[in-house]
Amino acid sequence: MSLVLPGEQVPAQHVNLKLGPGLLHLPLASGQSAAVSTKAGEVKHSANRNKWWIEGNSRRYVPAPQESVIGVVVARSGESWRVDIGSAHTASLDGLAFEGATKRNRPNLKVGSLLYARVSLAHKDMEPELECFDAQTRKAEGFGELKGGFLVQCSLKMCRLLLDPKHFLFPLLGARFPLETAVGINGRVWINCKEPRQTIAVARCIEAVDPDGGGMDEVAIKKFLGTLDV
Amino acid sequence: MRDLSIVYEGLDRVDGSARFGFGSTKSLSSVSGPIEVRPTLENPSQATLDIQIRPLAAIAGTDSKALSSTLKSIFAPALFLSHHPRTLVQIVGQALCGSESGSGLGSAGRGWNASLTASLVNATSAAFVNAGSVPMKGVVCAVSVGRLQSDGSRPATLILDPEEAELPRLAGSGCFAFLFSAVLATSPLSSAEVPPCSLLWTNYTTAAPFDVSELSAARGLAEKGAHEVWLKMKESVGYLDKSISPKVDVKTAVEESSTGMEVDDEKVEI
Repeated sequence: MSLVLPGEQVPAQHVNLKLGPGLLHLPLASGQSAAVSTKAGEVKHSANRNKWWIEGNSRRYVPAPQESVIGVVVARSGESWRVDIGSAHTASLDGLAFEGATKRNRPNLKVGSLLYARVSLAHKDMEPELECFDAQTRKAEGFGELKGGFLVQCSLKMCRLLLDPKHFLFPLLGARFPLETAVGINGRVWINCKEPRQTIAVARCIEAVDPDGGGMDEVAIKKFLGTLDV
Repeated sequence: MRDLSIVYEGLDRVDGSARFGFGSTKSLSSVSGPIEVRPTLENPSQATLDIQIRPLAAIAGTDSKALSSTLKSIFAPALFLSHHPRTLVQIVGQALCGSESGSGLGSAGRGWNASLTASLVNATSAAFVNAGSVPMKGVVCAVSVGRLQSDGSRPATLILDPEEAELPRLAGSGCFAFLFSAVLATSPLSSAEVPPCSLLWTNYTTAAPFDVSELSAARGLAEKGAHEVWLKMKESVGYLDKSISPKVDVKTAVEESSTGMEVDDEKVEI
């Protein structure tokens, strides 16, 4: 458990070194260059020590390519849609970036609809661009409009935890009642359940387990669920 | 130095927030960014820093504006603003104590004293660490140094982090802000566990005539104090997630509030 502050040197050395979020290769005053942390958190590396990154929590999403995000349509500009994904700039989604879309056959989105999309372009100087199909297969693969349901905001680390298949929360909730969820890596989770109180229970559980707001573990969540009427 | 305290507030609508205190001299700071920027403030090559400072009481006056431009010059070299062009990084700083010396009360009092300024700089650094969304070159740590009144025959006595009660006896004081980063050059004063640091800003002023050796002695003393602040910040990374909050601070806050309140129902006459 090696915790670092920003500006600390990290001992990342490998022939094929790949630095992930939170690390930059910077020239030091001594003339050499080394991996230096740019945010606070735990230093993690892959098993063969060629991938290093800083595991920290934050609330603000910074877009990166090939990440799956949940966006809200805010406006229409010509043929494309402007989608809010929680980043500094609104993203643009082309009207034809859906599976099987042609000029005559376009999906009918409205302002305020929810989308599950993939960030196809994320560059610091340009606004991010989204696509609603998988990069390799060009098929929907779950991307597209999310109809109905409820949107919950959480911290970025919580989203990464929810996307981990070994995390306890969704199997625990799914054992009690059927639910459908979509997790965006931009801090948003879409929940769809049959009854409103089930949706509320899932939303409150996500907020309770969020490391940014309490960080309950499995035992505490089971007790908490007992107090809710589901 | 007085007891340092760092509490990560977890304020609702901002990305990062922290409260820093030198003993009872405390400030609160919040950071949001990178967020959307108004077209008038937009900078095509880097993020815009927008800093608002609020005193404990009264409205923000000229000294708040001066302090915000000071903080801008301190934090601009400490952040990688070029990584997020055409965005805004918004900082709001607030004094949490106004005292007999008049500090923290804005233009109504005698302005911000050196300790309060230092606590504000440290609170902002801690808020950036908490936010984790703006990449940082290093952590900025600030301390204040005071100079006791003395006759001209002996060199001045410098004290690190003067308390509120000692302020009337000072003939000069100032805040020193250092950037701690591995990319800086090491100096004879740096230790193995703390990265090298460099002085970003100071406002050390005295009533006595200017003396270069006094200024460098004050700077050396401040550097040692800043090392302590950095070590405290490093320790606080362990409780960045609110699930593991520092128990000591919560207990003292509860004690303070319970002793401060008086039950005066009997005294109220209807």
